[in-house]
Amino acid sequence: MASVIHLPLLTPPLPKDWSPLESSAKSISKLSQRVLLPVGPAYLAHVRRTVNNRTFEDDDR
Amino acid sequence: MALPNGTVPEPPVQPTTKSAPTVVGINFGNTYASIAVLTKEGLAECIANEDGERQIACAVSFHGEETYIGNQAKPQLVKNAQNTIINFRNLLGKKFSEIPKDQPVTSAPVIQHPDQPDVPAYKVSILQPAPTPIPTPSLSVRSSTNTPAASALATPRSEPIPAERILTVAEVNTMFLKSLVQSAQDFLGRSVDGAVIAVPTEFDDNARAALEAAAEDAGIKVLQLLDEAAAASLVSVYGPSEGLHLDRTSLVVDVGQSSLSLSVLSIRHGLISSIATSHDPTVGGEQIDEKLIKFFAKEFTKKTKTPLTVCPATDPVDKRAEAKLRIAIEHTKRTLSASPGAATCSVESLKDGVDFTGSINRMRFDMEVRTVYAKIISAAHDLLASADHEPLHVDEIIYVGGTASLPGLDESFLVIFPDSVMTPFTAGTVVGGGEGDPTTILARGCALQAKVLSEIPEEETKIKEAFKKGNGYTKESTATKSIGLIFPEEPVDGAETKGDLGGQWVVGVPKDTPVPYRRVIQFEADLGESEENKKVGFEVWEVKEGVKVEKHKPPKVEDDDDGEKDADDEEEEEEEIETREKTVEKETLLGSLSFTSLHATKEKGRWKTRVEIQFIVGRDGHVSVKAWEVSRGKKGELAVDFRTPAPPTH
Ligand SMILES: Nc1ncnc2c1ncn2[C@@H]1O[C@H](COP(=O)(O)OP(=O)(O)OP(=O)(O)O)[C@@H](O)[C@H]1O
Ligand SMILES: [Mg+2]
Repeated sequence: MASVIHLPLLTPPLPKDWSPLESSAKSISKLSQRVLLPVGPAYLAHVRRTVNNRTFEDDDR
Repeated sequence: MALPNGTVPEPPVQPTTKSAPTVVGINFGNTYASIAVLTKEGLAECIANEDGERQIACAVSFHGEETYIGNQAKPQLVKNAQNTIINFRNLLGKKFSEIPKDQPVTSAPVIQHPDQPDVPAYKVSILQPAPTPIPTPSLSVRSSTNTPAASALATPRSEPIPAERILTVAEVNTMFLKSLVQSAQDFLGRSVDGAVIAVPTEFDDNARAALEAAAEDAGIKVLQLLDEAAAASLVSVYGPSEGLHLDRTSLVVDVGQSSLSLSVLSIRHGLISSIATSHDPTVGGEQIDEKLIKFFAKEFTKKTKTPLTVCPATDPVDKRAEAKLRIAIEHTKRTLSASPGAATCSVESLKDGVDFTGSINRMRFDMEVRTVYAKIISAAHDLLASADHEPLHVDEIIYVGGTASLPGLDESFLVIFPDSVMTPFTAGTVVGGGEGDPTTILARGCALQAKVLSEIPEEETKIKEAFKKGNGYTKESTATKSIGLIFPEEPVDGAETKGDLGGQWVVGVPKDTPVPYRRVIQFEADLGESEENKKVGFEVWEVKEGVKVEKHKPPKVEDDDDGEKDADDEEEEEEEIETREKTVEKETLLGSLSFTSLHATKEKGRWKTRVEIQFIVGRDGHVSVKAWEVSRGKKGELAVDFRTPAPPTH
């Protein structure tokens, strides 16, 4: 299973009149290119997913 | 250890009959080398060689029939410099014509090989034991004072014959590497099956190929040539200082003898990408040595009235005195790193038969070398700026290299970096060869990596390829802006609301995260007092991060009792204090989710529940967010989710 980050935090109650905002179907900004350092178990896991065409969910199974 | 990004399917069970291969990590610097092995618990440990040294000097010296390798070769630089070879690692992969010839020569000079065109080599004088001819590039010679190369021969022999020997740069490197791996084997009591060797980021393809060839010639199976910054950061990934986040920005500061290398890295659950790097061959321990040698030479002259001019020295006698000081201050510098008190420097017969003993404490030393520290800090500042970062964005500083062991350097960094920055000095992991020890971190990182590699099953050739230089898997996309959640909040009357965000901000996927990426967070949500309407709701935003700079007048200092004021005070009052703070601004709304809590529990009159949210950013940049309620440690049904389209590719 993916490692879960436990945040030490308590989110506030919603305002009474709040309702979900209309989704705008927008995407995030353009990605940029970076170089990964070929080191460590996380890189190995990353390569395994790429090579075997697996998703994170596949990894969980 | 930190869990990797996402999970790895269990590796196939290794057949128990075949024991795990013996692997080591090697740091092969231009000045010092070190070796690390893995303990039974899978931890990496830097070992001492047969001379009891963890920092093994990269030096090879020939004296008569004897060959010294390592720390025992260094004293030979005083009286036998012509036959003592140093600085050979940095020449790997270079042609003779590519090597600058204007360097001052304090050891065996680099010459053009007499037979091989454009090949750099060294010429040394040796005594050849008669009548057995010396084996060509004597790879069997071991570092030891009391074992002449041919002492195993029981038969009486005639006088050794003076001879000349030509060694190529490659041969010297092989000879040295062979001695390193021999030390590892002596320590382990078994042969080494493979090694990861650290290389400077700026090593080009020729240098890498030459190093690999030299290592193979020394009988070392090279599992990977690993970038120094990668080796160091892996140690941090395995054993992060307490309080460090799994997602962080780290600055690697490597100060060795002959250069300064800096890297800004993004570490995301162990997945490391390089944001920016720089290299400066004019800053390093060499500059510190010069200052310290000059300091002691001056002391010597003051105490003994013997003139001594060093750095540079022209007179041969002064040159020899400088060489002696250069060796002696190695000890002085290590003492200074270990304790703030007086550190001594003693040289017998420094000049004209006059002995010298001097001392310096850390405070004085830091003053002497502050310009070198300042250069390092400003190089770090420039590098961060080139990547649109500033010290405020750095969560952790990782020190590498002997010179980075100096606490004064860390103190200088802490002046301009935020209080929150974690360094091995603030974490207390440098002392006693701890996790953060800059002199052993490279070898340890390489050993950890060797373990990772040795556990990849033989048949997974494609995956093994992915660790070679120039493979296609290291080029990845990263998110350029942070994605996170805003938990809307009723504005509190009178009180200032949290920025313009209209609620509480929680980071989901920080910028500079390589994709595809998954991150799962869990936290507690306050749902209020009312029995009805137990709702969890939030918005998902892509945000713009910045830095807010504020200038304040310092609080007025009360006048002294006597009411006196000196002139300086007036100026100080004018000066303002600058504070810098990270800011977050909403930019793009990606979606918004809400669900009714089914598992809330009442605590002190308020309803609370645990929420888990999963972010996935796909290879193409699409974002998928899922939210669950978690009760009694168990994840409930998927409550809500959404998925954004992928961004345009150009
Ligand atoms: N504990 C210490 N305190 C201060 N300086 C030290 C300490 N240990 C080693 N040094 C210095 O660090 C330098 C060697 O650093 P390091 O071993 O990182 O160099 P290297 O990587 O082999 O060399 P280069 O940078 O030339 O490639 C030398 O100047 C040495 O005197
Ligand atoms: Mg180095």
